[in-house]
Amino acid sequence: MAVSQRRVRDALTWLVIALTAVPVGGAVVLALVHGDTPCILCWAQRTSMALIALVGLFIVRYGPRPRYLGTVVLLATWGVFMGLRHSSLHLARDIGQGFSAPFFGMHTYTWAGLIHWVVLLSIGVLLFLLREDRGESWPKEPGRASRFAMGLFVVVAAANAFQALATTGPPPFMGQADPVRFSLDPRRWVWGNEELAGRLSLRGSWTVPEPDAADLDPDPAHGPLPAPPELPITGWERIGVPLYGALSGLAHDPETDRYLAVTDRYGVYLLDGTLARTLHHVTVDPGFSIDLSPFAGAAFLGDTLAVLSTNKSYALLRADSTADEALEWRHFRETDGAMRELRLGRFATVRARQMYVLSLAFDPSADELITVAVPSPRHRRLVVSRFARGDLMLSSEFEPRLGADLTLGGDDRSLAEYVVVGAVAEDGLLYALSAAYSTLLVIDLGERTVRAAYAVPGLEQPVGLAARGPQLLAAQADGRIAVLERPGAWSPTAKE
Amino acid sequence: MEFLNFVLIAWTAWLVWRRPDREGRAFGLLIVSCLLMALLFLVGTHTSFVPGINL
Repeated sequence: MAVSQRRVRDALTWLVIALTAVPVGGAVVLALVHGDTPCILCWAQRTSMALIALVGLFIVRYGPRPRYLGTVVLLATWGVFMGLRHSSLHLARDIGQGFSAPFFGMHTYTWAGLIHWVVLLSIGVLLFLLREDRGESWPKEPGRASRFAMGLFVVVAAANAFQALATTGPPPFMGQADPVRFSLDPRRWVWGNEELAGRLSLRGSWTVPEPDAADLDPDPAHGPLPAPPELPITGWERIGVPLYGALSGLAHDPETDRYLAVTDRYGVYLLDGTLARTLHHVTVDPGFSIDLSPFAGAAFLGDTLAVLSTNKSYALLRADSTADEALEWRHFRETDGAMRELRLGRFATVRARQMYVLSLAFDPSADELITVAVPSPRHRRLVVSRFARGDLMLSSEFEPRLGADLTLGGDDRSLAEYVVVGAVAEDGLLYALSAAYSTLLVIDLGERTVRAAYAVPGLEQPVGLAARGPQLLAAQADGRIAVLERPGAWSPTAKE
Repeated sequence: MEFLNFVLIAWTAWLVWRRPDREGRAFGLLIVSCLLMALLFLVGTHTSFVPGINL
């Protein structure tokens, strides 16, 4: 392209002036006028923009040497990462929320990410316009604008050094995560090194292992509730049809005496009351549209079948002999031709955020679906989440308290040690079966308390819970089903 | 530490502006500033190096 190298240099000079004056110099003005103080991450982003402008001065002064161009690309790439990392703290917040004040409708950390991206773009344009003469045609002497840019930069860098001294202190002090308002009064200056605290981690609170119910202590005597009364297994049944994958959830529909079984390989089976005949089955395609992790829970919503993944994504299905097999091909890897996918979605939670689930229940009296979160080393909570069936949005959420008749085995014990793998809601109660310590928790949904707990010795890797009249059915991964008599006086119409 | 870094940056710019013959020293200071900037960002994010979002 026939553009003189002097013009390219002049354009670059004005870019350097703009970068120096607006984000790097303007930030000092914001401090003086509005008391705006950057956090440690803002400081790094501002420093990076200053360094990019400085490399621009190197190019203006010495020519477009490869090491200068490489340095700018490295700085801009790092700056885009910094912008993403920093903005990720706030991007998912609600409308208008953020850190510190917005600037022309965007918060400063977002601007910094955008500016670094524009720098990358500018470097591409600069490379496009450079002549392939190893800089021989580059002007040897800086022009008036170039000298102005250098002088301006020194002044702006010195102003930033002063602000940094006031707000972050001399070495070894450094920037803070939550700094105080800028002041010229030294009595208001706060210096510290609290950013050095905390353990190293790649993903922080997102470091959550996928739940593995096979790796839990099944002994009820080791649980947080000492010596709960025993609920004996009164019989065994078995799913009599071959399943694709291991059983991972079970539900029973009292209206039609049908069972809904799901597997960890996305199999969904509608079984008759004998558990020995498959009425319908599909294998859901987990990679199409919404990402479905292995299925972990099942529930009947009338004639709608709800299946839940460990990552709280769900699929709603319905048996339908008129289903269009060609249309459903995109949803199912395998189908008997009589099942429809109604909807895929994701449950959004608040207290149970960043936690997996292994259970799903449906409370017909409240018309709500219920999940119980699986505690992890990062998030030690037992959270019951309820979702309105109408819009499948969160309607309430709570951490159950301990009932008046229960006590923990020590100050260091917690209900969050239970790992609920199956749940049933009936008559205002949530029966939640924990694979850890083989314990059945009875949670009062109205009072939000654990009313009772029962040890169920003899279970081997339970994965689900269903209700059948006065009985509870604890499903195991191997397809066997332990029959339990429901604790307390149960009747089909009255609450316990 | 941010104060130190901006002092280094101002010094580097001054060399480029007023002592252009000391290009090597200026570039060395620039690299030191870049590394210090990256280090300070990593200190500020050491409890979660990657963005706190679904990956």
